[in-house]
Amino acid sequence: MEKRESLWEAYLRRGFSRRSFLKGCVALTSLMGFGTDMFSKVVEAAETKPLPVVIWIHGHECTGCDESFIRSGAPLASDVVLSSIALEYDHLLSAACGAPFEAHLDETIAKYNGQYILAVEGAVATRDSGVYCMSGGHTFTHLLAKAAKGAAAIIAYGSCSAYGGIQAAKPNPTGSAGIEHFVGGKPIVKVPGCPPIPEVMTGVVMHVALFGTIPPVDGDGRPKQFYGNRIHDTCYRRPFFDAGMFAETFDDQGAKAGWCLYKLGCRGPETYNSCGNLRWWQGMSYPIQSGAPCIGCSNSNFWDEDPFTTRLPKYGKLGDADKIGIGLGVATAAGVVGHAVASIVQRNSRENLIDEEHHD
Amino acid sequence: MAIKSVKEVNRKEYYIFSPFLRIFHWIMASQIVILFATGLLITKPMDVAVVEPVFSITSMDLVRDIHFTSAFILCASLILRIYGFIINKGDRLFPRVWEGHFYEETVDVALHYMLLRGHHASFLRNPLARGSYAALYVLLAIEILTGFAMYFMTNPSSTGGMLFGWVNVLVGSEMMSHYIHHYVAWFIILFAIGHLYMVIRAEFMEGESEISSMFSGKKILAHTPKDANELD
Repeated sequence: MEKRESLWEAYLRRGFSRRSFLKGCVALTSLMGFGTDMFSKVVEAAETKPLPVVIWIHGHECTGCDESFIRSGAPLASDVVLSSIALEYDHLLSAACGAPFEAHLDETIAKYNGQYILAVEGAVATRDSGVYCMSGGHTFTHLLAKAAKGAAAIIAYGSCSAYGGIQAAKPNPTGSAGIEHFVGGKPIVKVPGCPPIPEVMTGVVMHVALFGTIPPVDGDGRPKQFYGNRIHDTCYRRPFFDAGMFAETFDDQGAKAGWCLYKLGCRGPETYNSCGNLRWWQGMSYPIQSGAPCIGCSNSNFWDEDPFTTRLPKYGKLGDADKIGIGLGVATAAGVVGHAVASIVQRNSRENLIDEEHHD
Repeated sequence: MAIKSVKEVNRKEYYIFSPFLRIFHWIMASQIVILFATGLLITKPMDVAVVEPVFSITSMDLVRDIHFTSAFILCASLILRIYGFIINKGDRLFPRVWEGHFYEETVDVALHYMLLRGHHASFLRNPLARGSYAALYVLLAIEILTGFAMYFMTNPSSTGGMLFGWVNVLVGSEMMSHYIHHYVAWFIILFAIGHLYMVIRAEFMEGESEISSMFSGKKILAHTPKDANELD
């Protein structure tokens, strides 16, 4: 792959019409979350930019993000992988293996130094020198540092690479952590989710591929066009929340009628994602639509904020904060009553003492 | 012959609480009650117990609006209080912890309240009480920060989102902000119980216009207070 072709050249080589190219660009513009005013820039980029080299590595994770990615409907994951990016190295999707495959990684890093996009799935295992996640005879931390060094931009796919993931749940035996502090200060865009929405995954990589920069991100490094709203604020069940109509249990009248799942612990009010507007599987459904409260899988610490089916955590037999609060309130009230009685006793005995002194 | 229930006592009147402070106090007290009640309802909304949506009588939207309005009123009155603190020499915001005698006096008062001592020195501003108000301000600050962090993040790109969004990152996650906001609310209520008791107790034991001073701004003391020189 000496001269890398652009998306337009790839279309020409395949004998597609200009019209279908422009239609493809319209689709790209909208799925990257842009308005139509950005359309001409997308076309320009697709005509001139050579297809970006992508190195896709996997760390401490379950590869569930890839399962999500290959189900992307617009664009099709196969289109992205085969036509829109030059995927040079991928632990999961590559057919090659062994020493030649690892050698190819080194070649790619050297050849496209400073130009390639690094996509990272999975966390880094930091404890005991990183031995809990090894690949190719090296720790993942080593691989990540090597691949990050020459990357133009880094995409952190999934809650694992963004925040540490489920394996980072207390007590976090492997010292699992997000990749942010292990990439030597390279620009990083976080695409959290367990897994992220397929179209969000392809949308972000297409943005980086076409514009060569990471998309506009929020304070936490997440692309604003996909993580700019709470699920709660885009949820089709929100009117039931506002009206105070809640499912109390998973099988009651409200649950059957499709009312708000807030009282069943829905994390929609704290979760930034596109489930409410993009939904999953080409807009078919999303957890809340299927009657399951959101667990906030794209949140930085969702794994430790259990139980997922209540708003407040419970502390064993003590119950939740409200129960403990009432207990403490009653105890305080009892305490002040006791104190009041003791104070009066103290004052009376003191006054008697003073009276006796007067007598003397 | 004097009537037994009439006693002649020599007292001095000290004006210590400016209107800013008094107005703030009562706004805060009322808003805390409203905020706490609506806050509990937001965490655990009432059961609907209707079979048809049209007959729903509860409104989460209304409860939330009351909570938010009340929060804004409290913040506005807090600004008024700080303004009063700046323009009135006599107003205090925090106890003077940099003055060494504050600690001895606090211990002295604490020993009395633990019933280990029969009495404590007379103060215009009880040092232990003022320490507890400083703690209350810290609790309020936590509520304001976490509250606005949740409120404004409806639109993270807004000015409010920029100003307060970092709180969610600082505490680990936005859910954690919810937890902290809820737990600290309970601590404020525990403070309120203690505070209510202590002022009633002071009124009952000393009879030195502890309660009415928050209306009139004046304390009428029989003893000469130790901090009489701190009037302005």
